[in-house]
Amino acid sequence: MTVQATHDLEPPAAVVATYFSDVFAHLDAMRAAMEALFANGPVSAAEVSDAVAPMAARTLADPRRMGAGFVAARRALSDKALYLAWWQGENRQLLAEAEAPDSGDALDYTRHEWFRVPERTHRPHVAGPYVDYVCTDEYVLTATVPVLVDDQMVGVVGADTLVETLELMVLPSLRAVGEGATVVNGAGRAVVSQSPRIATGSRVDVARSREALGCGDLEFAVVIPA
Amino acid sequence: MARPLRPAAHPRSAIFAPLGDEGRATRVEKRIAEAIYSGVLADGERLPSEPELAAMLGVATVTAREALVALRAQGLVTTTRGRGGGSFVNRPRHPDDAVLNGRLAATSNVELRDRATLYGVIVAGCAEVAAAYAAEEDVALMRELVLAPDETDAARWRHADAELMLSLAALTQSARLTRELVRLEAAFGALVRLPLMDPGFRTGARLRQVALLDALECADGDAARVQARDHVVQSLAWLLAQKAALPGSGATSDSGGH
Repeated sequence: MTVQATHDLEPPAAVVATYFSDVFAHLDAMRAAMEALFANGPVSAAEVSDAVAPMAARTLADPRRMGAGFVAARRALSDKALYLAWWQGENRQLLAEAEAPDSGDALDYTRHEWFRVPERTHRPHVAGPYVDYVCTDEYVLTATVPVLVDDQMVGVVGADTLVETLELMVLPSLRAVGEGATVVNGAGRAVVSQSPRIATGSRVDVARSREALGCGDLEFAVVIPA
Repeated sequence: MARPLRPAAHPRSAIFAPLGDEGRATRVEKRIAEAIYSGVLADGERLPSEPELAAMLGVATVTAREALVALRAQGLVTTTRGRGGGSFVNRPRHPDDAVLNGRLAATSNVELRDRATLYGVIVAGCAEVAAAYAAEEDVALMRELVLAPDETDAARWRHADAELMLSLAALTQSARLTRELVRLEAAFGALVRLPLMDPGFRTGARLRQVALLDALECADGDAARVQARDHVVQSLAWLLAQKAALPGSGATSDSGGH
């Protein structure tokens, strides 16, 4: 990746970095509260919901957030194998359990990127863009932070943002750059692009991009594709 | 910002439209039961009160009550008393094969083909679009859902297949297309996966799943579409054969006959 600063990629990179650093500030407070709760011994679904509800509500006070909460690791809670203390939608409804639409069986969310990556890396992560059929049924980006107790992940705290919301925030500054400027995620998928030919979710050859600038601490970058 | 709906809104007026005269309680019961199975009435949803239901359907209150008693006996409705009480939809978890065979027997061939056609077109369309977006790691994740050939638990086969189809829809990057599949899964998913009770069918289904994933990995949209479509076509063929072998309409035999 060549980094010749012929175009100023800083403004769109800053929009993305600033937005997510605000999200992560909220998530970090939630993480600290969850770690304190779990440090005191076994925790039930009701206890975790009560503890996280006011913090999730504060996160969701910003209308750019689609959902937020705590999602338990398998068997981390004393009374439920899988549980989502997660509020979402305009009514900020509690999700509690995710079900398969055909059978009503519990959906195993632990296979999904937003859970699996922080479980593996023990680091914060922004998953997506992806269509979330477990929680929102929307096209979203999910920021998650692992909640660790004795180096074991007992769950993640997280917040969803519609891809559309990020597009509205960052597209004006991408247009100012021109040249097909595109925000890509860590896997090289387009998140928002100024180019009409680059669909969100499609893969961009980041290694061959003409210019690139990382978005703060995130794995996201703004690139000018080859 | 659109509110996610699950299941999506349906033409519900048809459920509550006036009925004719004969076998009224049974017909009320059947109509509401089908609406619950198909997801038109959502799990946990409150049903109209007995007098409201009677007025909507043009039957006597005792008839509505009789139907609700029968629905309660089937476990499809729970009734609570007191403030905030009423009758609530209780969508069955894990409907057993006898119940599913009963549903199959009560569904006309025309309706089966109709539902399978729509479901097949959506699944095939998802597969074609998904092939353009699928990365190696997406396909690797989906491969984890393919069960070992000697797995004997039909419920696990059904769950894994449902997750595969949902993952396929999500790969299209289209929330609307995914919601459409979710809606169809609620209405038809349980029936389309009834054949997975049959070990012979499972063997074929597994091969089709693997072929579909291979096609996604090669970004071969045409092959992915063909495999996904065949998955539904084979299921429909099994359902029609099974239905033909079931004794009498409305029967709930689980003898298989296959």
